[in-house]
Amino acid sequence: MPAVIEVRDLTFRYPGAEVDSLVGVDLTIERGDFVAVVGGNGSGKTTLCKTFNGLIPHFWSGEMLGSVHVGGTDTHESSVAALSHQVGYVYQDFGNQLVRPTVRDDVAFGPINFGLTDHAERTEQAMAQLGIEHLASTFVWQLSGGQEHLTALAGVLAMRPEVIVVDEPVAELDPVRAEETYRMLAQVNAEQGTTIVVIEHHAEFIARYARSVVLMAQGAPRWHLPVREALSRAEELAEHGIPAPQVVQAVQALAPEAPVPLTVEEAVTALAGSGVLTGSGVVTGSSAPAEPRATSSRGPAVARLEGVTHGYRDVHGHLSTVLDDLSLTLHEGERIAVVGSNGAGKSTLLRLLTGLDVPRVGEVEVEGISTRSTSAARLADHVCYLYQHPEQMFLQDSVRQDIAMFPQQRRRPGTAELVEEILDRLRLREVADRDGRTLSGGQQRRATLGIALAMTPALLLLDEPTSSLDVGTRRDVTAMLAALAERIRCVAVATHDMHLVAEWASRVVVLHGGRVLADTTPAELFDDPDLMAAVHLVPPQVSVLGRALGIHPPPLSVAELTARVTQPVAAGVR
Amino acid sequence: MARKQRDVMSVEWVKLELLRTAYATRGGLLSRRDPRIVLGWYLVFAVVPWLTHNITTLAVLFGLTAVAVLVSRVGPLILGLFVIGLVLESTYLLLLAWLFDGDITTVLSLVTLTLKLGTISLASMAAFVSLDPEKLSDALISLRAPALLSFGVSYGYRMLPILMTEFHTIVNGFRLRSAPLERRGILGWRAVVRLSTTLVQAFYPMMLNTAKRTRTTVEALETRGFTFAGESRLGRDLRLAYLRVGAADVVLLVVTLVLVAAAFVTGAQVPLFAQAR
Repeated sequence: MPAVIEVRDLTFRYPGAEVDSLVGVDLTIERGDFVAVVGGNGSGKTTLCKTFNGLIPHFWSGEMLGSVHVGGTDTHESSVAALSHQVGYVYQDFGNQLVRPTVRDDVAFGPINFGLTDHAERTEQAMAQLGIEHLASTFVWQLSGGQEHLTALAGVLAMRPEVIVVDEPVAELDPVRAEETYRMLAQVNAEQGTTIVVIEHHAEFIARYARSVVLMAQGAPRWHLPVREALSRAEELAEHGIPAPQVVQAVQALAPEAPVPLTVEEAVTALAGSGVLTGSGVVTGSSAPAEPRATSSRGPAVARLEGVTHGYRDVHGHLSTVLDDLSLTLHEGERIAVVGSNGAGKSTLLRLLTGLDVPRVGEVEVEGISTRSTSAARLADHVCYLYQHPEQMFLQDSVRQDIAMFPQQRRRPGTAELVEEILDRLRLREVADRDGRTLSGGQQRRATLGIALAMTPALLLLDEPTSSLDVGTRRDVTAMLAALAERIRCVAVATHDMHLVAEWASRVVVLHGGRVLADTTPAELFDDPDLMAAVHLVPPQVSVLGRALGIHPPPLSVAELTARVTQPVAAGVR
Repeated sequence: MARKQRDVMSVEWVKLELLRTAYATRGGLLSRRDPRIVLGWYLVFAVVPWLTHNITTLAVLFGLTAVAVLVSRVGPLILGLFVIGLVLESTYLLLLAWLFDGDITTVLSLVTLTLKLGTISLASMAAFVSLDPEKLSDALISLRAPALLSFGVSYGYRMLPILMTEFHTIVNGFRLRSAPLERRGILGWRAVVRLSTTLVQAFYPMMLNTAKRTRTTVEALETRGFTFAGESRLGRDLRLAYLRVGAADVVLLVVTLVLVAAAFVTGAQVPLFAQAR
């Protein structure tokens, strides 16, 4: 296979930076490959990818040594405009990449700017390829996140590039949409031989779609290996913030000699082949989950929704019903995950509980107070709502002021001590005087949790608290949510993140078509594949693996799986 | 008082109305015409009122643009604001005239000015409610406006809904995290002061968030050939290929000119001036 990208001895430093972002990079990417670039934050992944389309050095004019050749052209001699025929780039915050009012107009933007006479054909073809023709005349601000991503990708495809770089598709998309993006990329890769480069944290996607993996560390590739070999280095990957897929962890724990599995099926084969499962018949249904979390006796009610119907009007005046005669009670001590596909009404449900909106029909009560009888500002003494995008919560000049804002404004006694305690508890002291917007994703989440703690609400509502976080930070947030229990009577989270559901929730409310489709526990939810498919959710790999091995209810973590598989086997041997 | 979800006269409604106006979603007579012709049509009504002091002529022109507003389906929010503005302004001018011992001449001079401004406002409403962002920016390119201006127009439209939502979210954040007002004060002055300070304070986080976003946009524009298109004619020709002046467009312009001429003829036959000539 000839190389499409050749990087030789590349060193780059951003203007004004203290250290080199890239240090002596040597890398060859073959034509038609599907490459995953992985590495911790600040390892130079994004910087490396920006050298492929000439943004470095032509747009970011830092100090550059060494060379990058794309399709035989030296990017130094070329220009961003010329290179954009060869390399397409889909950003992590792809929404900001769309610059025209409608989808068709945006997809055609590149081809028209470059004066390609077949622009109409290219545009239609790109949209058809990604299955978004029906959106052609939709305004871009009407699109969902997944549709925006496909539109950005179509804009890139319409240029018919040799290489497509996609920066962290999973960060801003729910897993099902991300899956769709990956299937599209795989299809483009297979049909047109386009080289795909993805920057990715999620090892499960890498395992299933990538053919080779580049591990970046301190501004240079540590290695570039075929995917199976790369994933077998689980420990090294975990050191760089990319925990191996759960199936890899499970197989390495149970059958270390077996080949590294890339999918659940391969894991089942590996485990079956290694003889670990000889006692699997005994496993079925016999042992209880390691840690039963569901409490049968429910505490007193914290909030109640009674026969709630709500909806919004769109720009054409149509009323769409989001919640349809929904009744739900949230109890003290519960950790509730509200799940469901996009548009199922998760965010609407949370908004109604804050009292920002009142329902068209029905009643919402928080701690016995009807939201119709009081203002949202007064209800804020009882409820706190954290937005999906943390930067929308930063209203003051520093994290400290943001945390202090609520108790200070309401003249609560002991505010100063409370703020200092929260800063310590959430490890925010070093960044306390910085503007929240300048923090990293994980720090931003911690800061918003700090704002919530200072409000000391009875009911805490969070919208997608783990979206756009890397795996390590996600763990951190999950742990912090678990620690909130002592201060807050009830926590409800709207989420797509099934790992969060598995590790944290005690109760799962499944919304579908504006109603509660199921009200259950995580283990029971993952044990019902029909239900999961109906609401477009993907269970954690370890639960799928557990089910495939005949364990009911399925395990929620790798530790639980290994415990439940090995115990009976050990007994059988004895 | 129990709170209720309202579909009109709420913040949500104002947002939707602005979008409907900006994106010409209601259709209407002018929205089907070539955008350059619409701009030309607008220019006629923006210039002509300044050429006369004849109140009869101005009244006919005002009537013409009022009809244009109706057939262009201007939404209730914009129209309502216009009517309120017109009524308030007239009332206060009349009051002033009366206070300062004005006579019928003063009133007529004021009517002249009000009619001129009213005609132009009505014409702008009719024209801009009929131009969606793509058409407007393409018309500007075709009329040789600077590329940055026409792009700015289309990008501004694209950002409008995002900025409105973001602003609303931040204002809500202030509402929730500030202390609720204990008393509203006489005529609710405390509430008005609170609202005004919140609106100003909310502006700053919104601008910072927006500034952070545009970094990607600027890079994306570069990779998607925006700078390249500024230097080459190819893209411009392709983009404008669909613009075509048809028979209906010509008819529109001719009818407009005939009606304007008719306004002047009527004015000449039944002249009415604020000051005797």
